[in-house]
Amino acid sequence: MIRARSRPSLFSPVRWRLAAACRLFVLALVLTAACGFSPAAAQEALRPLVNALGTGGFPERAEAVKALAATGDPKVPEILTYLNDGELYAPKAGGAVYRIASGNTVIDPLTGAPVEGVAAGGLQKIRLNNTLRGAITTAMSQLTLLSPDRDKRFSAAQDILKSADPAQLALVDGALAQEKDNAIKGLLGAARAVMVLRSDHSVEEKKAAIETVAARGNRDALTILTTALAGAPADLVPVIEGKIEGIERQMALWDVAQNIWYGLSLGSVLLLAAIGLAITFGVMGVINMAHGEMVMLGAYTTYVVQQAVATYAPALSTYGLAIAVPTAFLVTGLIGVAIERGIIRFLYGRPLETLLATWGLSLILQQAIRSIFGPTNRQVDNPPWMSGTVDVGGLAVTWNRLWIIVFSIAVFFALLTLLKRSRLGLQMRAVTQNRRMASSMGIRTPYVDALTFGLGSGIAGMAGVALSQIDNVSPNLGQNYIIDSFMVVVFGGVGNLWGTLVGALSLGIANKFLEPYAGAVLGKILILVLIILFIQRRPRGLFALKGRAIEQ
Amino acid sequence: MITEFLLSRHEKKTLVVAALILLAAILVPLANLLAPEGSLLHVPDHLVPLMGKYLCYALLALALDLVWGYCGILSLGHGAFFALGGYAMGMYLMRQIGPRGVYANPLLPDFMVFLNWKELPWYWTGFNHFWFAGLMVLLVPGLLAFVFGWFAFRSRVTGVYLSIITQAMTYALLLAFFRNEMGFGGNNGLTDFKDILGANIQAPETRATLFAMTALLLALSLILSSAIVRSKYGKVLIGVRDAESRTRFLGYRVENMKLFIFTVSAMMAGIAGALYVPQVGIINPGEFAPANSIEVVIWTAVGGRGTLIGPIIGAILVNFGKTIFTAAFPEFWLFALGALFIATTLFLPKGIVGTVMQGSKARAERQKAVAAEKGRTAAQPSQGAAAHETQAAE
Amino acid sequence: MDSKITNSILYLDNVSVSFDGFRALNALSFVIEPGELRAIIGPNGAGKTTMMDIITGKTRPDQGEVYFDGAIDLTRKDEAEIAQLGIGRKFQKPTVFESHTIWDNLELALNRKRGVFSTLFYRLTTEDKARIEHILETVRLTARKNDYAANLSHGQKQWLEIGMLLAQEPKLLLVDEPVAGMTDAETSETALLLKDIAKTRSVVVVEHDMGFIRDLGVKVTCLAEGSVLAEGSIDFVSNDPKVIENYLGR
Repeated sequence: MIRARSRPSLFSPVRWRLAAACRLFVLALVLTAACGFSPAAAQEALRPLVNALGTGGFPERAEAVKALAATGDPKVPEILTYLNDGELYAPKAGGAVYRIASGNTVIDPLTGAPVEGVAAGGLQKIRLNNTLRGAITTAMSQLTLLSPDRDKRFSAAQDILKSADPAQLALVDGALAQEKDNAIKGLLGAARAVMVLRSDHSVEEKKAAIETVAARGNRDALTILTTALAGAPADLVPVIEGKIEGIERQMALWDVAQNIWYGLSLGSVLLLAAIGLAITFGVMGVINMAHGEMVMLGAYTTYVVQQAVATYAPALSTYGLAIAVPTAFLVTGLIGVAIERGIIRFLYGRPLETLLATWGLSLILQQAIRSIFGPTNRQVDNPPWMSGTVDVGGLAVTWNRLWIIVFSIAVFFALLTLLKRSRLGLQMRAVTQNRRMASSMGIRTPYVDALTFGLGSGIAGMAGVALSQIDNVSPNLGQNYIIDSFMVVVFGGVGNLWGTLVGALSLGIANKFLEPYAGAVLGKILILVLIILFIQRRPRGLFALKGRAIEQ
Repeated sequence: MITEFLLSRHEKKTLVVAALILLAAILVPLANLLAPEGSLLHVPDHLVPLMGKYLCYALLALALDLVWGYCGILSLGHGAFFALGGYAMGMYLMRQIGPRGVYANPLLPDFMVFLNWKELPWYWTGFNHFWFAGLMVLLVPGLLAFVFGWFAFRSRVTGVYLSIITQAMTYALLLAFFRNEMGFGGNNGLTDFKDILGANIQAPETRATLFAMTALLLALSLILSSAIVRSKYGKVLIGVRDAESRTRFLGYRVENMKLFIFTVSAMMAGIAGALYVPQVGIINPGEFAPANSIEVVIWTAVGGRGTLIGPIIGAILVNFGKTIFTAAFPEFWLFALGALFIATTLFLPKGIVGTVMQGSKARAERQKAVAAEKGRTAAQPSQGAAAHETQAAE
Repeated sequence: MDSKITNSILYLDNVSVSFDGFRALNALSFVIEPGELRAIIGPNGAGKTTMMDIITGKTRPDQGEVYFDGAIDLTRKDEAEIAQLGIGRKFQKPTVFESHTIWDNLELALNRKRGVFSTLFYRLTTEDKARIEHILETVRLTARKNDYAANLSHGQKQWLEIGMLLAQEPKLLLVDEPVAGMTDAETSETALLLKDIAKTRSVVVVEHDMGFIRDLGVKVTCLAEGSVLAEGSIDFVSNDPKVIENYLGR
């Protein structure tokens, strides 16, 4: 039981990262060693220090690790990695330290040559505890701080900042003097400030350090300052307290901004899913319960396009998504036209029947996709320009979310322009307002109906392309959005695209603001309840049309 | 007054169906318990709860028909009332397990022990009494329907808007009941029941009794529904369905009319759920899924909404089909169900019973017309003959 | 209280309502005396139907006063309450319960207790039966009492709706275009029926058919753009230059 428990902790992220960093470093060192950098004499100078690892208790060994690190010898990280991986052994009585990598071969940790005459059975593994592991981490960071590789220095600087042992002040100062990279300099500066705060430097120096720490303005800075507050001299207390308050205020603001961002992101997804519905439900008055399945079909179209591009035109794979958008629009648009001609046109004026028929259709479409593609999720890749994150102040902005926001706004305005400015838009509005009059003025109403429904479905398909980037592409994809989409349209007010925009964004933001207090599920329930209550107060939504016309 | 109300004029076919259901209530248990195995009359043990399940669904469809078929309120959330009734019964059955659970806790159901709960939540008190659980089966769905309807009907949310918010209601409940913190067993729901009113829930005798009870309550609900829809109140409901504003301008409080039938219907759905749970042995949040509620709508539509026997026939037929279908071609059941939705709305909007009734009404009218025609033609020759005679006399 | 209000059956003062910026009623004021039969004419969009919506509680006015029977403020009541107070309304498009028989239509319209439980346990009394039969006679539908209302002709539906209003025993009847789609014979019979009804209660008729209004021979109010344009006898109103300009045409 205990063994089973302790096992996963071996793979805990921090230690795993450390081990990985060590291994990388060792690789680099082995390469330099191969170039003939490490003279045997220097190696031998290390030996007493290495042997010290095998004697005494944990504190003594930690000292030995520090001493090793202080030499700055390029061989040291390799040794420390062995120690960290539990490959170093020593006789029970102490003395020389050996390495047993695999099997029972005893080798010299410094030269790597097999050692004759020492039986593996007589050796005992040098055990580690957390203090010792911490010492190893710090030592590794110290050594890597001077590495020529920028990324390594960066992560080392982060590690240093985390531990911020005042004993390493000199090391950091040395690194700072050499460092050219501004980001690393910032980290080291902060680390230095923290060290100063923790050491017995003068009040003036500490004040300057407080400034440096406070300038970081994140949660770590807050923790550092709070810890510093405990042991601070009396005249520093108000300074620190003021800074803490400032950071807290700033962080609260960033939190709000982050919530708004998440909300906008969710809102844009809702907008994409709902906007097609706003056309079919809002403009035509048709309840399309298969709308979610149109979204799902759009996502599967993306999958198929991506597969096809990868097979037939790998050079275009970066633009697979750009090809998928019009394809999905066409595919789902055509399916939409077929649905309108095949089913919905027989049910105009019978909204409840339309609801049932399209629900049946959604079952069929789901099962069809399940039969063709299987019930499991399909992998749709993010193109490189949609992956990754960019930090804006205290905000973490993911590229895919940003693109989806841009995309949904673009679709929204394109649609608005289409409805307001184009001939088809004019005909659509005419048919919805007075079908008989429109048809007697020579508008082919069946044609307009089919196109309108196709347009709504096509937009759903484009929403599917966007959703394939952030959600699982599975046959149930549409089901997750249909109720939310209806809520958006109903909340925003039927027959008004601006209402849909405002509805989607405000529901998205409200959802994300409730989540921290109520949790994701309860937040969603609360939103549903609030919308239900809202519809009772304003049965026709936020932006309702008034007057006699809507009564019919 | 109540008995007079219940015994007031019913349609003949309603009485026939009620009698058939009562007959089943007696014959199925007898054929299960008394007829020797292997004989033609024997009903195998596994069929009894299956048929009981169909009858529960029939009761649920009947409840939905009261609001949809007679009052035009398409509720897409009736599954929620069904599930709430089921949970109320499930809570009683859970408390009957007592120390026989896996953790042998005399008071707490297993899932609470598993979640490290120390006390029974307050809303579980009382459910160790059958009468209390029975009361809750009616009150909880009834109260939810009353509160929901009070808000919705007062602010005149109608048509598809109402359908959508009823769907949102059951969806919200689905999410809520999935949470362990709610204290209803989360994902797994309530199951592993041992006995009901002291009788082993797995025993053939108990199952036969449960079936008989289900049939009896279905027949009673049918008679009650018939009494309701054939009263003046029922006529007002149809008026609300066909011309809501006319009803209002005649001075009827439409919101109260709707609220009453919605609440009655929710209670009926709750009873159906309560009868369902001991027969299938489990209740979980899946029952709140919006898809379930919509399926009820299709049973009602297939059978014929706005007729009382239609939903009963529809629920039994569709679910019988589902049993056969999912056993033979599980892949294609959703295709079949989807096609059923589309075909019913396009080609059979009145449902089976509605179409048959329309056919027979048309036939009756044709016969009437033919009879009238005959009468005229029978009269005409004599007139013609008389005319002839006068002509001849001239 | 103003004696004008207390002595009237219906009193509208300075009533305005707008929909999305469109002013459907613009400071409309008029008074109906008890027992009066009043005809209202006006072009499309003059606010005739909106006026009825306001009187019957379907629409709330943005401003203005609406009093019924001397003292009852109608702007605070909803349709059902107003109907129970004794205002009956016939729609422009005949609205009857199509899936009920003619008899049931009238039974539902009868002025009896309209609560859930009173209707649930309602039994048809001989008195009610006689009343329904009397109305059937009045609107000439006795022979068809067991037919579904859906099977009636357009004109018969109009009459059934009027019959339903009678069953409601209102003090005031609002009748919107009662003769639309009727033959000439039916039209003059309807005029007679309405005059007969007006002997016992107040009636407001909205109509386009000038011949019919001439048949009625009562005071006429002409509405245009949401307010009263002219009021008086049919000859007076039809010679008013503003009415000719706005409605009748030259």
